[in-house]
This record gives sequence, structure tokens and C-alpha cells, in this order.
Amino acid sequence: MIPLSYNVRSLVERRATTAAAVLGIALVVFVLSASLMLVAGVEKTLGGSGEPDRAIVLRKGSDNELSSGIEIGSVPIIAAAPGVRSGEGGGLVVGEIVVVAAMEKLGGAGMSNVLIRGVAESVFRFRPEVRFTRGRAPRPGTDEAAIGARIAGRFRGLEMDRTFELRKNRSATVVGIFEAGGSSFESEVWVDVETIRQAFRREGMVSSARVRLESPAAFEAFEEAVEQDKRLGLEAMREIAYFEKQSEGTATFIRVLGSGISFFFALGAVLGAMITMYAAVAHRQREIGTLRALGFPRGSILLSFLVESALVAVAGGALGSLGALGLGAVRFSMMNFDTWSEVVFSFTPTPQTLATALGVSIAMGLAGGFLPALQAARLRPVQAMRE
Amino acid sequence: MSEPIVRLRGVRKTFWRDREPVPVLDGLDLDVPEGSFEALMGPSGSGKTTLLNLIAGLDRPTEGSIEVAGQPIHQLPEGALARWRSETIGFVFQSYNLLPVLTAQQNVELPLLLRRLPRAERRKRAETALRIVGLEDRTQHFPRQLSGGQEQRVTIARAIVNDPKILVADEPTGNLDKGSTKDVLDLLARLNKELGKTILMVTHDPHAAERATIIRKLDKGQLA
Ligand SMILES: Nc1ncnc2c1ncn2[C@@H]1O[C@H](COP(=O)(O)OP(=O)(O)OP(=O)(O)O)[C@@H](O)[C@H]1O
Ligand SMILES: [Mg+2]
Repeated sequence: MIPLSYNVRSLVERRATTAAAVLGIALVVFVLSASLMLVAGVEKTLGGSGEPDRAIVLRKGSDNELSSGIEIGSVPIIAAAPGVRSGEGGGLVVGEIVVVAAMEKLGGAGMSNVLIRGVAESVFRFRPEVRFTRGRAPRPGTDEAAIGARIAGRFRGLEMDRTFELRKNRSATVVGIFEAGGSSFESEVWVDVETIRQAFRREGMVSSARVRLESPAAFEAFEEAVEQDKRLGLEAMREIAYFEKQSEGTATFIRVLGSGISFFFALGAVLGAMITMYAAVAHRQREIGTLRALGFPRGSILLSFLVESALVAVAGGALGSLGALGLGAVRFSMMNFDTWSEVVFSFTPTPQTLATALGVSIAMGLAGGFLPALQAARLRPVQAMRE
Repeated sequence: MSEPIVRLRGVRKTFWRDREPVPVLDGLDLDVPEGSFEALMGPSGSGKTTLLNLIAGLDRPTEGSIEVAGQPIHQLPEGALARWRSETIGFVFQSYNLLPVLTAQQNVELPLLLRRLPRAERRKRAETALRIVGLEDRTQHFPRQLSGGQEQRVTIARAIVNDPKILVADEPTGNLDKGSTKDVLDLLARLNKELGKTILMVTHDPHAAERATIIRKLDKGQLA
């Protein structure tokens, strides 16, 4: 086999064109990795928001809390259903009202919707993963609000001790900032449920009811009991399944957009790699002819140029992946299409995103290098050495 | 006399240019005895390089038979011909044809990569070849760090490293000054005498040709 050092040094020798081809592939891998990391981030944020022993109940036919409404009288019935873990004073249940408010994004990015959740005081017992990093929980019956750590500082007034408008002429004051394990709750504003009920005129209604189950296996019995009474018109879902469904639209959107852009960039990068390799073959005709004269078979020449082009691709892939990894610290605020409100995502690298990036870069290298390598392998030694 | 190491019978070679036949070799017969040092002369365009390429298995005759080192090579398939070349023929080119990005040592090792040899053995053989051509102190130099004469000696080391029976040299001194020409010719003569290599050398230089044991002249498609 023709030694690898021959390829490496030849690439270094022609460093300008090599660098151009490497950068082309790096750009594609960067875009692709970034979109894959964002999809992973969306899935982690939304898909990671559920717990296996929790169930959510919505009005039948609603696919999210925003469009759902159930009568407050149904909540005790839900709490009494089989499979619900009991807490003090009955089954562990929270009935919440979910609305959106248009707020001004900081940094001149216009208005966007923020999801506001009306919560009961018991929510912090219901969701022990919620942790206050600053301040405290809002008191019942007040205009106090707690905000998720991810939207803190992203909207006007969504900062510690500042006030913002829930809706016209109805303001609330931020008294605490909380984290919730990176889930989408961190992009929400939580206010006392009765305050929201009044402000948004949701008398007698909640958007959803959530229950803690005795065990994840208790869900089937619970679901059957809740959905049995057709007059209530309810639908029960595992919380995990609910959030997974919430992430589907957004994840698909990013995936399609990301792979679409990557695809067109990739065409360019493959063409770039091809041009580079054709130039290399033309430039090294005499060397190829010599190798053939010395007895290297066509296959060796083909392999050598394929390897060379794969080296370019791997270098580009590594560079692009590194650049994408640099996005790890970036928080990306974006509309979640299933709730029409802003959710803050992070670029989350996973072994799969890295493996895909590397695989795609090698594929690009081989695709760009194949025809030039074939041309090199087909050179007739006598002709090649005449040049 | 022993069997000739190169035997050509009725070799014809016609190139095609713009659909016009360009006859170069016209029914050539040739016997080269083993261990001879032959110089091939003739006017430019007479077909010297063409003939050498045919004998070395780089090109195929339009007609006729070529037997080299007991092997009828005109009918060998491509892959087998490449392997045969690597085992039988050492090449010395006018413009050296060293790979510029590899060191002298690595250039000389190239033909050995076609054999299953341990790394250490490859290194040893390459060092031996470089010692034979007097460049044992230049093993880590790149071609551009060597003089033309030194480059040609590296090429000769590369040509002999596989211990082939035959060396073909197409105007090996064509790019060299007087001193280097003498070094290279001395070296070739030594390889012929001491190692018994059969050498076929194309040259325009009558002084160079005098170093050979046989001088042949090619003209109008025929050997004189
Ligand atoms: N691949 C080819 N296609 C067409 N014509 C060719 C080809 N190779 C050689 N020829 C022609 O064949 C003739 C002999 O060429 P060759 O290179 O063998 O000559 P030469 O004796 O080596 O000349 P020189 O002394 O200049 O090196 C020339 O007329 C050349 O143009
Ligand atoms: Mg010639």
C-alpha cells in the first residue's frame, strides 16, 4: 500500500487548496451538527420534562394544555380515580391554568409569547425537582410570580424584583427564579392559580390536571377510569408521552430545516472536494505514473486518493464538530410550535450527533474523491510520465 | 551462449494520432544476452523510449512477441504485468521521478511496499541500496534538498532495492553535468559488473554509450 504519509504530506504541500476543501466540509458539518444538537436539545428539554409516575388529564381532543379546558369540579373526581397516590387531604393532584402573554423580548427582537402557568401552592410538593436559585415561591392570592431560569433576563421585566404585565393593567412582580432539571418549565412564568383565574377570566375552569401515580404501572387503570365517564369528556396521558408529543413538531421542523440546509451545503462541499482532488490528480500525474511503473496496481492508486480525500473530510468533520461543540454554551430561544410560546433550548451534543457528523463528513470525502481517484487509477503510466 | 534475457520477435508498434497511424517500430527482432550493458542510440523520435517501454512492460506491442526473463509479457494481463514489473525491472528516469514529499529513504522503500516485508527489513534493504549508491548520509533528505546527481543516485537505489534482473535507464544522464554524469555511469557499470544486472540504457551522449558493452542504433523503425 502507498504509505499514508505520502497523502498527508501531499495535502500539507498544497495547504491552500487543502484548507479550502477542509473549510467547505467543516461548514457543512457545523450546520448539520448544530441542527442535530438543537434537535437533541429540544428533545431533552421537552421530552425530558415528564416523569414516569405522573399523568396529565386534558379535555378530550386537545393536544396541549393551552387549548384544553376542564371544569374545576372534575379535579376531585380525577384525584379519586384508582392508581392515584394519596397525599394529605386526598389524591396528589394539581389543577393548573395555562395561558400565554405577549411580552417584549430584550435586545430588540420584538414581541413573543411567554407561557404563564397558574399554579397552586401544592405544586412545589408535586414537583420536587423544582429548585429556587434565587428568591422564593409566590404566595397564594398575590400578584407575585416565579420565573424559570432559562427565560430570566430574556424578556422585559422578567428579572428578579422587577414587574411585568400579565395582561393590560395587571402587573406581577418577580419574587423568585427556579430551575427544573433543564425541562421546558424553565421557560415558563408561574403565578398563583387564583390570580390567573381572575386576570384571564377562567372562572370554574382549569387547563389541565396532573396526578402522581402510585407507580408507572398504575397508569392503565387510571386512564381507563378517567376516560370511562363520557360526560366528563377527559383524556389521560402519561406525562412523558405528552411532552414527547409536544417536542415532535419543533424537532421535526429543525430536523427538516437543518438537513435541508446541510444537504445543499453538502453539494457545494462535495464539489469543492472533487475540484481539489481533480487538481491534485492533475498536479501529480507524473508521480502516479511512476508509482504505476514501480508496480503499484490500479487499486492502490484508487485507494490512496480515496484515503487522501477522506483525510480532508475527517479534518473538516473534526473542525466543524469542534465549532458546533462551541455552541454548547449557547442558549437558543425559539417558538415551540405546539404551544406557540417561546421555549429556550440548548445545543446538546450527544454521541449520536458526533457520530453522524463524522460519518457524513467521511461520506462527503468519499463522494468527492471517488471520480478523481478513479481517474488517477485509470492513468496509463507511459502517458502519465510524459506530462 | 546462454538464453537471451530479452527476446523480441517481429515487434511492431504503431501509435495513432488524429486517426492517422504513426508507425514507430517496424517488425523488430532483438536478443539481449543476460548480464550485458547495452546502449541504445538513435535520432530523436526514432522510438528508443517506445522500445524501452515495451521491454519494461509499460506498454504493449501492436504486434509481435516480447519475452523478458523467461516471461512472455505481451500477453500478461494488466495486474500481473504490474507485479511482474515490480519483481523484474528497475527503472531509472531522465527526470528521476522521485516523489517530492517523501525522503530518500522512503522513496527507496516504495518498491518494497509491494512485498510482505517487516518494517525493519524494509529499512535495512533501503539503507543497503542507498549505501551502494554512496548516499548513506542522505537518507532523511527530501529530493529538493539533493543535487541532480544525488537525486539520480537515489533513483538508482530505488531501482535496485528489489534486486531486479534488469535495469532500464532512459537518458539517465540527460539532465546531469559532467561530474554527476560520470558518477552515474560509473555506478551503472559497477552494478553491471559486480551485481550482474542487465542494463538497457538509452542515451544521446556517445561518451556515455562507450561505457556500455554493446551499442545499438535505432533508425527508421529498425535496429542497426
Ligand atoms: N502515446 C503516443 N501517441 C502518439 N505518438 C507517440 C506516442 N508515444 C510516442 N509517439 C511517437 O512515437 C515516436 C517515437 O517516440 P519516442 O518517445 O519513442 O522517441 P525517442 O526515440 O525516445 O525520442 P527522444 O530521443 O526525443 O526521446 C515519436 O514520433 C513520437 O511522437
Ligand atoms: Mg525518448
